[in-house]
Amino acid sequence: MEDFEQELKYALARKEQPPSLEAKVFASIARDASARKLSWRWEALAASVILVAGLGAQHAHAVRERVAGEAAKAHLRLALQVTVTELSKIQRTVRASTEDE
Amino acid sequence: MIKFAFITWIALAPLGAQGIKLPSNLDRLAAKATDVVDVTMDANLLQLAARFLSDKDTDEAQVKKLIGGLRGIYVRSFEFEKPGEYQDSDVEPVRAQLHTPAWSRIVGVRSQKSGDNSEVYLKTENGKIGGLAILVTQPKQLTIVSIDGTIDPDQLHELGGHFGIPKVDTRKETGHGKDE
Repeated sequence: MEDFEQELKYALARKEQPPSLEAKVFASIARDASARKLSWRWEALAASVILVAGLGAQHAHAVRERVAGEAAKAHLRLALQVTVTELSKIQRTVRASTEDE
Repeated sequence: MIKFAFITWIALAPLGAQGIKLPSNLDRLAAKATDVVDVTMDANLLQLAARFLSDKDTDEAQVKKLIGGLRGIYVRSFEFEKPGEYQDSDVEPVRAQLHTPAWSRIVGVRSQKSGDNSEVYLKTENGKIGGLAILVTQPKQLTIVSIDGTIDPDQLHELGGHFGIPKVDTRKETGHGKDE
């Protein structure tokens, strides 16, 4: 019984930590913080790149759409020019022939 | 025989729904022509053009309203240096499509002297105009216009003088130019 008490007392006795432990823990915390900070920077950079690329793509799409839209408008104008001109010529010919009769 | 008729019907059925189909041999004429107008605008392109037509601009708003009911506009116009650069056979496939019950010729003008021939056809769908086709053959010019969709020819004519479209005087021409 005494042996057991002795062993228990020894096990529960306050032990001094090795002198390097505290430094190791702080070094580990510092390393983690540094790694987290670096990782955050990379994430922010990646997000910025994605955002800029997205905005760039959106702008390029808008420019392409505007160019295509203006081209479509020009084609429409040309098609209507030909149509109206030909219809008017035909109308003029018909009118001339009816006036002659 | 029934099988042949069925296949022909299947092949031609979309033509009625899409307006007239301009034959690819017309593109061959472009090489001989001095001036060519080639416009192909399907429903998607018309919608795109409509998005860039301003509602605030009176002329553009008028055009926007006009094309609102259209499914397509197709124009082929060729001007040649000399007569005989195209044959009747080049135009025949177009004319054949217009000689179907869906289409009615509303105007036909032929000049024996000059050799000019102009025809205007309208397609009716459910009592409304569902298409317009213009066929102009002259010794040195060939013009085919096909407009597919609901259209008002009067509204089209009113566009003259607007949207960059020249206002063509429809009064009778005299020896000195135009009538008073």
